[in-house]
Amino acid sequence: MGKELPVPEKTTSFIRREEHHPNTGVDSADNPQPPEPIPEDEDGLEPSDDKNDDVKDKEDHDHQEDENKEKNDVGEDHQETKNDDEEKEENKNSNDEETAPADAADQVVVDEEEDPLITLHKVNEEIDRFVSSSSSSSFHDGPDDPDENAVKTEVVPEFVGMFLDLVEDKAAKHDSIEGRVKWNQLPENGSLFLQTVDRLSKLNKTLCHMKLEEETRSSLINRVGSIQQRAMAYLEEEFRSLMEESKTDHHHHDSDPSGGDNNNNSKDRCQLSASESETTGGDEEEDDNFPGYSNDVVLNLNGIAKEMISGGYESECLEVYMNARRIAFEESLHRLGFEKHSIDDVHKMHWEHLEREISSWITTFKHCATVHFSSERKLAEAVFVDFPSISALIFSNLFKLVFVDLLSFAEGVSMSKRSTEKLFKTLDMYETLRDMGPKMYELFPEECANELKKETTSTRCRVGEAAIFLFCDLENSIKSDTGKTPVPGGAVHPLSRYTMNYLKYTCEYKDTLEQVFREHSKIERHDSTSRPHNYEGGETTNQNNDGDEKQSPFSAQLLRVMDLLDSNLEAKSKLYKDVALSSIFMMNNGRYILQKIKGSAEIHELMGDTWCRKRSSELRQYHKNYQRETWSKLLQCLNHEGLNVNGKVVKPVLKERFKSFNALFEEIHKTQSTWIVSDEQLQSELRVSISAVVIPAYRSFLGRFSQYLDPGRQTEKYIKFQSEDIETYIDDLFDGNPGMSMARRKQ
Amino acid sequence: MRATDNQGSFLNRISIRRNQVVSMDNNHEQELEDIELFQKHVGDRFADLLSPAEDTSVDALLSIAWLRKILDVFLCCEAEFKAIMIMGRDPSQISKPPLDRLLHELLDRVVKTLDVCNAVSHGVDAVRHFQKLAEIAVSALEQRPIGDGQVRRAKKALNSLAVAMTLEDKDGAVGKSTERAWSFGRRGGGGGAVNKDRNPGNFRPICWNMAKGWSASKQIQAMSSNLVAPRGGETLAVPIYISSMVMVFVMWALAAAIPCQERTGLGNHFSVPRQLSWAQSMMGLQEKISEEWKKKEKKGSAGLLEEMQKMEKLAQSLTEFADNFQFPAEPERLEEVENQVAELAEICKKMEEGLVPLQQQLREVFHRVVRSRAEILDALEQGGKSSASIM
Repeated sequence: MGKELPVPEKTTSFIRREEHHPNTGVDSADNPQPPEPIPEDEDGLEPSDDKNDDVKDKEDHDHQEDENKEKNDVGEDHQETKNDDEEKEENKNSNDEETAPADAADQVVVDEEEDPLITLHKVNEEIDRFVSSSSSSSFHDGPDDPDENAVKTEVVPEFVGMFLDLVEDKAAKHDSIEGRVKWNQLPENGSLFLQTVDRLSKLNKTLCHMKLEEETRSSLINRVGSIQQRAMAYLEEEFRSLMEESKTDHHHHDSDPSGGDNNNNSKDRCQLSASESETTGGDEEEDDNFPGYSNDVVLNLNGIAKEMISGGYESECLEVYMNARRIAFEESLHRLGFEKHSIDDVHKMHWEHLEREISSWITTFKHCATVHFSSERKLAEAVFVDFPSISALIFSNLFKLVFVDLLSFAEGVSMSKRSTEKLFKTLDMYETLRDMGPKMYELFPEECANELKKETTSTRCRVGEAAIFLFCDLENSIKSDTGKTPVPGGAVHPLSRYTMNYLKYTCEYKDTLEQVFREHSKIERHDSTSRPHNYEGGETTNQNNDGDEKQSPFSAQLLRVMDLLDSNLEAKSKLYKDVALSSIFMMNNGRYILQKIKGSAEIHELMGDTWCRKRSSELRQYHKNYQRETWSKLLQCLNHEGLNVNGKVVKPVLKERFKSFNALFEEIHKTQSTWIVSDEQLQSELRVSISAVVIPAYRSFLGRFSQYLDPGRQTEKYIKFQSEDIETYIDDLFDGNPGMSMARRKQ
Repeated sequence: MRATDNQGSFLNRISIRRNQVVSMDNNHEQELEDIELFQKHVGDRFADLLSPAEDTSVDALLSIAWLRKILDVFLCCEAEFKAIMIMGRDPSQISKPPLDRLLHELLDRVVKTLDVCNAVSHGVDAVRHFQKLAEIAVSALEQRPIGDGQVRRAKKALNSLAVAMTLEDKDGAVGKSTERAWSFGRRGGGGGAVNKDRNPGNFRPICWNMAKGWSASKQIQAMSSNLVAPRGGETLAVPIYISSMVMVFVMWALAAAIPCQERTGLGNHFSVPRQLSWAQSMMGLQEKISEEWKKKEKKGSAGLLEEMQKMEKLAQSLTEFADNFQFPAEPERLEEVENQVAELAEICKKMEEGLVPLQQQLREVFHRVVRSRAEILDALEQGGKSSASIM
């Protein structure tokens, strides 16, 4: 029928600008049938409200009134109707009136002075009334109505055709090839257009329910459907361009983030960034780094989405939305510095490169967890505010896409070749997964959150296990350090330094490592054929043990490392031919280790006082060994025994004693002043203890026996050292000065 | 799930046997028996995958249901393999040459398997996208009376589908992404005046891609390149070989079926050994799939997934219908279309029901394989340690 309608000149209308009396509009005489069946009885009114709700007529004007009016006569109450409708219409042309198309006989009154806007406005009103009343009558169509000449068919009022003409025209203009109208160029931010589309959709539904003569019905539906499709295609296109082209941070952040990223990277590159990274301002400055939209745009998107969905074009709308956001997501990951790598690549990547990528991953993951995901959800909720299940679905689908990539990277890192230096970054990742997880879970409905939790936990386990392996790899580093060259001078071995510094850093992650060892130290084999599901369980049971277990798995591992280091050092000490030097070596290293442990509260706590005490006493033992080795021989020279025979000092023996003392002491001085004790305290302890033993003995020996030597030449020959000299020479020991000789010293 | 049922009893049996203290000879005999059994199981399972292709259409070759089945088979084989290799075994047995090398090669394949799983999982997303487009067409063409608007709507969706499918096939090279259109209704959408003025420079891939330069084809090639059937000698080399073969085959089949980044030359990658009895069915499957692949590769197809191929055909035919549509529709033509639409709807339903579980299963494979890798590595390391300490 619509097709047969005479199409008025496009920009004219049937409606006069001036006020008209209602009945100028529809000539009731020419209108043998009412435009729509009118429920005659009061019963018919009540379902009408329900029905309107079904159609999601959000214009809350009083249906009752409408119904009443229409009950009287569609044509006659325009004045009142119009006043009602004004409230929902855009207050324009409030005084205008509509003239309905003349009649079914193609006779149309065309008025030259008419304004298209007014026309549309008026036709709109008609359509609204028509839709709301028809929908109410669709269940109660009037077979009882005696006035209906054809019980089974209804007739579509003329203004439907006019409406369609106008809309078609409008849509075509918006969407023409040249001069396409962009959404923001539409009057009223497009709300008028949306209303029109809304009307169209409702009209479509209404017509589908009407009982019309078949051919009329289908051609009319065809027409409405066709126009609707065109309008929807326009909406879709505009929806897309709004989605893609109005992102807020699109441009002005383009230059920003590179600088920001570099900062973050350099921060993270420092190996001890764990505590630091929690306090960095990184998160704040990235806060707005979300490709979102201004409120206006969101409102527009929301309006379009609503029309598309209620008009049955939900799938198209969601496709556009998903695609646009997926791209935005990918772009923003890129801006955050996260690059996709296959697990295979990560697995093989050079550590330097991987280290950078891990930093970006951490930044990205944190940003996603704290900013991006929640903003994305908010956006979906705002655009699809009327359809919460849709927004939830969209968000979780989008999320899954990104998240698998993020987790895969972590899996890849956990598989990369093991080497000790990777531990700290790996622990950073572990902490990120651990701390950021809960922030994400709350964004999801329970079921989804559980799934997500399972995935995150599983990846976290992998990373945790990797961390354990990395830490345990320290054992291998220690074991494999089997060099056969002793460190000159018995100084601190590089292995001790490396191990202790490593442990010092490690212990800055003490709490995390404790957790990691508690939760992941055993790969459960029994469970291994199914997915790892019992980690959460493990967590809680282990926490119970926490209190009463004195030694945590981590500190056990730490002790194991220390023992290993110890035995390695002991083996190295055997490389020295001089037993005294072995002891010095052990003392040096032992002291170094002990100092390091005391210097770090974390390790100290982990190793415990008992261990430290045990260590100190071992050191004392080495000290004793040393003294015995070096100085007891010397002291034997000063032994009074054997010098007195029958109360007389045996001079040759005495001379021999002095000679050997001198030689021995010179030898010791020569050797041991090349030895190294770099710990000042230990050095002075050693000297003091040596002096304490040697000097009094020498002094007394000297006091007792020097008199037996003839003064002069003999004394000079045999008494080379005064006790003060001895003290001075002792102070030369352990300085690591190879060139030190007594001769030079004496000058 | 079936996979776990099977393997439970098997694992028990093996571990019980292993735990019995037996003489070395006995142990070896049992090991041979276990391996024999493993071969038989693998053979049976693949025979099962091969045969239903002839009779029923339910689990037609390369259908979603079939892919789920093959993943089950993979999981079963994987579990049995692990039972033979590491359960109750002294790790020092496997950590010496040549087994250690073979196992390390296997672990390398495992890593690549993970990437294939991820890529295929992304591919499933792409298929789901196809499904959504097809659903639009279905719902539009199901409306009665069928009118210009709905036909246009369907046509637009079908065009997008066709474009998406061919692009998906242009295979991932992200570097060329400017040429790729994700194009939902963006290109030639048939929406009358709509879209003609769009700048085509904006096209994007629909699929969430893998890393730049990643290629399913290359990965699978790398997985199979150093795969050589063991000749006598080491008994345990046999299960390693079988397991690797299963792994490569399953990943290959998945990559052939589901849109997957960069698959040129996927048709002729690896050879299944002819003389081995367990491999007969696998060989049969490989021949069939390769043949299909070579046919489709020339035409350019998103993948061999049975549902997808049917979808493609129906979509073509429906597009034709839409192109020539004039209101009102001719009743005879309409009936035909009705059937096609119903068929397409049926496919969409299958996808709707099957794709999510398929994706979950892929994830399960992922997790399982990761775990196995860790266990084998652990065993190798332990073995390495103990042997080192002996020396």
